[in-house]
Amino acid sequence: MARKSWIALVGAFALVTVGVTYIMGLWITPPDVFQGNLVRLIYVHPAVAWVAYLAYGVTSLASLAYLWKKTRNYKWDLLAASSAEVGVVFTALTLITGSIWGRPTWGVWWTWDARLTTTALLLVLYLGYLALRRVSEDREQRAKRSAVAALIAFIDVPIVHQSVVWWKTLHQSATVFNADLNPKIHGEMAWTLLLGFLSFTVVYVWMVIKRYDIARTQFKLEDQTVERAIKERVGTI
Amino acid sequence: MEPESEVLDISSENVTDWKEIPGTKGKKRKIKRSAVAAIFVVIAALVFILYKGLSSALVYFYTAQQAVTDKAQLGTSTFRMEGVVVPGTVQPTPSGVNFSVRFDHTVVPVVEIGAPPQLFQPSVPVVVVGHFQSNTSNTFLSDQIMVKHSANYVAAHPSRIKNAGGTS
Repeated sequence: MARKSWIALVGAFALVTVGVTYIMGLWITPPDVFQGNLVRLIYVHPAVAWVAYLAYGVTSLASLAYLWKKTRNYKWDLLAASSAEVGVVFTALTLITGSIWGRPTWGVWWTWDARLTTTALLLVLYLGYLALRRVSEDREQRAKRSAVAALIAFIDVPIVHQSVVWWKTLHQSATVFNADLNPKIHGEMAWTLLLGFLSFTVVYVWMVIKRYDIARTQFKLEDQTVERAIKERVGTI
Repeated sequence: MEPESEVLDISSENVTDWKEIPGTKGKKRKIKRSAVAAIFVVIAALVFILYKGLSSALVYFYTAQQAVTDKAQLGTSTFRMEGVVVPGTVQPTPSGVNFSVRFDHTVVPVVEIGAPPQLFQPSVPVVVVGHFQSNTSNTFLSDQIMVKHSANYVAAHPSRIKNAGGTS
């Protein structure tokens, strides 16, 4: 099958899983004994937060692959950038969905507890990474600098995840990925939660492939622009 | 690629009409300047979050027990205090609600000014923002209640799912 069809298939799969999550989350699953229908946001919020972690993980691995001389290739740099960009979108979604849930549940849109603060920090760190990518014109310099910045920014990811364990927070601890890996959710609620993780992960994969293709096209275009400019000055070479 | 010398040879010829490369230098410099400005904004945001966050995030709240133990030190300064709402103590008042919170065996009476959040109810853990009434009083004056949610999710009336509606 052609590459294009594969990507379309991933996109279709993402659409279907998100659609099923939507139906399961809004209609099939029961309300929570304590939060009522507010529980339905759990099928989205932890999943998008996980995708943000995943995106920054991919950015870090790709950055390492670029920095390591044996695998050095601009492809890794472009993949790191694409994944970081998608990660920023999902970090913002995490903050937005969390805020929407926090207002009716906690009573506040925002509070400076350790989980919320470190997550806000995560967003700003990777916005900084994306801004850094626009500073240097030199490809090699840009790739090296941003790879190092990506690895430094990633330090915050385990801090965000562990913040609810290390410090006293208003935010609850992990429901699924807790210390004893004992899920505190059951039945169809648990299945829908899992489906949410799957569907947003597929959405991530599709978005990164698309973004990477654009980045690669841009990269080739830059080369062609330079080549054309040289030709216009010196004739054919 | 051709050797560099050939390119240099051509520059020695009388070439007068140099063409501009698309994306001229001035434009690029402008992009670069805005990128540097963007980084400065990001750094400013980082400093703000670190200042705002770390000063309060690491000791986000005292438990009711810690608050009473450290009362001499806390005085009437404002801080966050956590405890479970003691059943049977919740009494609505014209300006808010009175109740007690407990952590282990320490019970602290709370006078809340303002409406509690919708999920506020007996037996739930809450974080109240405020201060002790005076250095001698154990009463906590609060102007904000935040309901702390546990990581547990339990289906309500599993047999009556079809009738689910509203937010309670």
